[in-house]
Amino acid sequence: ARSPGEGAVPGPALSAVPAAWLPALQLLRRGSKAVTRHWKAMHLQRQKLLAVTEYLPPRPAVPPRCLPRDAPQAHQEDGHARVLRRQAEEALRGSRMLAVCQYNSMPDEDVATLRHYLRKHNIHVKFVLNEVVRPVLAQSKYRNLLPLFVCRNILLVSPETRAREMLRVLKGVPQVTLLGTCIDDTILSRQGVENFARLPPLEVSQGETVGALSLLPSQTSSLLQRGPAQLTALLDEHIRRLRDTGSSQEAMEPPQGQSSGNH
Amino acid sequence: WPRCDPPLLCPAGPGGVAVPRAGLKKLALPPDYSGIVFPEKPKLKFMDKVPAVPKVRREPRRLRDIRGPSHVATDFTQGQYGILALGGGYLHWGHFEMIRLTIGRSIDPKSMFAVWRVPAPYKSVTRKSLGHRMGGGKGPIDRYVTAVKSGRLVVEVGGRCEFGEVRPFLDRVAQKLPFPAVPVSRESLREMRREEEERRQNNQNPWTFERVVASNMLGVRKYLSPYDLQLKGRYWGKFFLKHRV
Repeated sequence: ARSPGEGAVPGPALSAVPAAWLPALQLLRRGSKAVTRHWKAMHLQRQKLLAVTEYLPPRPAVPPRCLPRDAPQAHQEDGHARVLRRQAEEALRGSRMLAVCQYNSMPDEDVATLRHYLRKHNIHVKFVLNEVVRPVLAQSKYRNLLPLFVCRNILLVSPETRAREMLRVLKGVPQVTLLGTCIDDTILSRQGVENFARLPPLEVSQGETVGALSLLPSQTSSLLQRGPAQLTALLDEHIRRLRDTGSSQEAMEPPQGQSSGNH
Repeated sequence: WPRCDPPLLCPAGPGGVAVPRAGLKKLALPPDYSGIVFPEKPKLKFMDKVPAVPKVRREPRRLRDIRGPSHVATDFTQGQYGILALGGGYLHWGHFEMIRLTIGRSIDPKSMFAVWRVPAPYKSVTRKSLGHRMGGGKGPIDRYVTAVKSGRLVVEVGGRCEFGEVRPFLDRVAQKLPFPAVPVSRESLREMRREEEERRQNNQNPWTFERVVASNMLGVRKYLSPYDLQLKGRYWGKFFLKHRV
């Protein structure tokens, strides 16, 4: 189709250019305008062009899902977690007795009563989150208590070692179960804690030890004095017997001796 | 619709028993609304049906004000969220009232504001009376409209609010517009543009529309418009072809 503009422009320049400057007149004769409300039907050539020039996404030789995944980034430390960890560290530092108990849900007032009774014996109850407490324990000396920290649990910390009172209070609370204890750097199981509680208090046992140790030295002086004491007893007995016989003889002689003495 | 809880991932505890546990709650900081400036009137202005000086001379249809991408009002100015037009069309007074009333009902003027990004109707559109044959001159002016090209923001909403609060009513407004539209926020618009650019960059097809048309390979320009040099195959009439690169 010859475009109408060809006649207006000098011939040789335009005859080299194909007639594609304006849309073909045949297309414009019966069609609608460029912008329509409906979706205007496209010419097949245009459809082919759009089909050829579609977007092709990149396809790497190895699909990304076959490659090793990125190492999970260490999540940022929460300020709240840091505060809780510091509190746990302080509690662990100043305690001689550390008991780990499993906690099943209790009514709030029962929890308050339990805390009150334990506080009377200077035992502090701490609710800990496992994800906060685990790194703290791993670095401290309580490393071997780590397997106990599963599920909900509470810590009973105390600067003194009053196991008997603690066991008595915990016996009355069925929802709290004692799992393990660390008393004076010694890990004790439940049985071990019960045995420990049955031991006499420190002063009494110290006195007993001192008494047992000093039993032999206390007998040394009596041992050493036993020979002379026996000799003294023998001599005393002998003198008594002599006196007894002598007094019976002198009872007869002294009146003669006295009478002779009188002469 | 049926609700199903996502399966809890229980890590295996000692002995292989699955132990469910709840971790520490991670509290997020509240959003920072420090750099927001409120305009004098937080609600949308009333738009006139007819401009103050109505046109005497009836103007030609000039549908090219619908065709192609928009070069005005493509970015945010005052607000954080808005409605982006993804096609061309005309907005008349009914649409303006719908937008104004819906947004006015949904925002709280004390903490949020809304701003027009399109002018009041300025273009006169004529219509011949129904039932008459062709001829007899151009019809009288029927109404006034505003032309909107694709890629233009229609309204902007801002204030002390999150995208999640604003999106429901912006969605409802966007569905009622005569052209396809989506609610966007500053971040989502930036993300859209970035993704578009990325697709353009990593397209594996060596034959792009732009390249073929610019060098007139195979004489395709016989079947295309001269405007296709700028439109690059992404626009067809008033429609915006989102899937094209």
